[in-house]
Amino acid sequence: MKKKNVLSILLTAAVTAGTLSACSTGQGQAPGGKQAAGGGGGVTTIEFWAAPNPTQQAFWQDMAKQYATVNPKVKVNVTAMKESPTSEASIQAAIAAKSAPTLSENINRGFAAQLAGSKALVPLDTLDGFQDIVKARNMSGTIGPWKFADGHQYVLPIYSNAMLFGWRLDTLKDLGYNEPPKTYSEILDLTKKLKAKYGDKKFLWAKADLADPTAWKRWFDFFMLYDAASNGNKFIEGSKFTGDDKAGVSVLTFVDNLRKENGLLARQVTDPFETGVGTFADIGPWTFTTWAEKYPELQYNKNYTLTMPPVPDGMNPADSKTFADTKGLVIYASATKEQQKAAIDFIKWVYSDAKNDAAWFEKTMLPPARDDLTSNEAFKSILDKNPQLKPYAENVPNAIPPMDNAKYNDLQTIIGEQAFNKVVKGEISPEEGWANMKKAIESALK
Amino acid sequence: MDQRNNKLGWLFTSPYLIYSLIFFFVPLVWSFFLSVTDWNLIAPIFNFVGFGNFLDALRSPGVHAAFWVTYKFMMIFVPLVTVLATGVAVLVHGLKRFKNLFLIGFFLPYLSSGVVSALIVKGLLSYNSPVNTFLRGFGIDIDWLGTPLSALFVIGLILAWKFTGYYALILTSGLESIDKEVYEAAAIDGVKDSQRFWRITLPLLYPALYTTLILAFGVTFGIFTEVYQLTGGGPQNATNTWQMEIFRQAFANLQAGYASAVALLASAATFLSIFVIRKLLELWGKRNGWV
Repeated sequence: MKKKNVLSILLTAAVTAGTLSACSTGQGQAPGGKQAAGGGGGVTTIEFWAAPNPTQQAFWQDMAKQYATVNPKVKVNVTAMKESPTSEASIQAAIAAKSAPTLSENINRGFAAQLAGSKALVPLDTLDGFQDIVKARNMSGTIGPWKFADGHQYVLPIYSNAMLFGWRLDTLKDLGYNEPPKTYSEILDLTKKLKAKYGDKKFLWAKADLADPTAWKRWFDFFMLYDAASNGNKFIEGSKFTGDDKAGVSVLTFVDNLRKENGLLARQVTDPFETGVGTFADIGPWTFTTWAEKYPELQYNKNYTLTMPPVPDGMNPADSKTFADTKGLVIYASATKEQQKAAIDFIKWVYSDAKNDAAWFEKTMLPPARDDLTSNEAFKSILDKNPQLKPYAENVPNAIPPMDNAKYNDLQTIIGEQAFNKVVKGEISPEEGWANMKKAIESALK
Repeated sequence: MDQRNNKLGWLFTSPYLIYSLIFFFVPLVWSFFLSVTDWNLIAPIFNFVGFGNFLDALRSPGVHAAFWVTYKFMMIFVPLVTVLATGVAVLVHGLKRFKNLFLIGFFLPYLSSGVVSALIVKGLLSYNSPVNTFLRGFGIDIDWLGTPLSALFVIGLILAWKFTGYYALILTSGLESIDKEVYEAAAIDGVKDSQRFWRITLPLLYPALYTTLILAFGVTFGIFTEVYQLTGGGPQNATNTWQMEIFRQAFANLQAGYASAVALLASAATFLSIFVIRKLLELWGKRNGWV
């Protein structure tokens, strides 16, 4: 009996110790096991996780197939990134489980900062061949703002959506406008006319997200306006708040003025811009595929148009900047040196020919992150066929990527909770909201 | 013989024991471990922070909200689902034909996807939906999901709709087990029809009611899908549940250690609350002489 008890205790201890040893890595050090280069017979296998979007997946599968004919020594396995529950969580789980791919796309700058902060990414600029990619792809201007605070490039931007504002031309014409207003005071005048004519049937900006503090939602309201008002000023530099106070307060004051004129509808509305409830809305190029199916009556420059974000009075609207909804490609630190080299060679091959970027653009409608989108002949026919994509292509160099801080989620939540959402709801003055937000961000950055 | 039975017992219970070991015990130990570290699961280095994550969680407005919001949902959902399920059970029990068909009909929402039902409700309550356009015609303009109280009620209602059929099924089986002779004897003793439910049905239904109440209280600690789809925990954390807070910290902020501490606090709150509720329900039954 005694022997049995001792055995039971030992078994329990073994299970506990085994579990703990699987969790911990001793001395507070997580295992840094490297994945072996797969394949045999001198073939290096690299795992590529494509975005969970059929068109993107198809593009990369096609590239992998073509590359196999050029370089049979490298096998590129393309699989769709899982979203369980989000693609970021899947990547996190894969890294934790030591099953991360060699490289993946669909990485935004904020998430890349989280990964880079955890030493999970390879600084691409340290790999031979990276500068050749930048040069061959003609993207030195676009990639410039992507440099992280530590001076490295962890992400190769694949596409860059210079986020634009859409305007309902039919509503504008009803109000006597031939083109959209471009400055804050012009928009305020328009809002007054809109409300006088339509009452609670139409609003300037109708969107529930305006009152929602979820971090990423600030990219498509606050940052679009802030980038324009501050001429692309960096909101956070490294771990320091460097926001432009004047620009920030003017953005919040603009939003506050719209609220006072009853021009904002921060409530759940089904397709507000498409149904005409909203006159102005942030629009990304991914929208057009949905519109073609669901709202074919929406035609560029007939009943809607696209512009860069409005600017405060006194600024030149032609110099407006906007937020870049952009995602890129990373190589994981868990890959072997051989796999890292094979990965960079594969990327170099893909981007050495503008035709591949053109194929991407045509398939996905997402503007490749390069400086020559409007001047390179390879893209001309696509832009001629899809004129609504032209303003996106033209403004790639005017688009500012998101912050590269690992705490971006917390920081952007603060912008909403302390300032933007409260101003939208009329719960705080723009000045007080900005001051509270600044204080909370500085405290979070410590 | 005893020894053989003992071995057979272990053999038959081993699937459950192995299941519990893999899916309950190991994750629990893992959670305890994570909760005392600042590890995000991907960094090569992590630190042991002792009870730092727990202290941070106890000071966090998100956790405070999750704690109280659970009880607010409890106050809305439990009475609503209990009344509805009891009503459905009593009505269906009284039917002479198609009893099972009705029960299946009421049970279907339980099988429906929370995401789909939440998206339908989202569409129904949008500003330009026929419902709101109609209400605005009478000067009634409600921001259903943007106002704390109405957002709580909307989510509480969706949950009640979903669980009513399931609990009604349990209550119906409770009603079926009541011997008809009890009612006949009561009728002879002069019990009026209006007293039948309170004096006979409710006391004899107590065991089934006890089960559904415990299940209903338990549901409020696990609310996620409806909140995630409809409000994201807002407005102003008014619908931020434990699961929503854990999700946000683990998968948006990538703070696995902190999220584990919140999860353990949520477990403690759940176990303690359910323990107290169970005792209160037992006391209620004993006081009335139902157990």
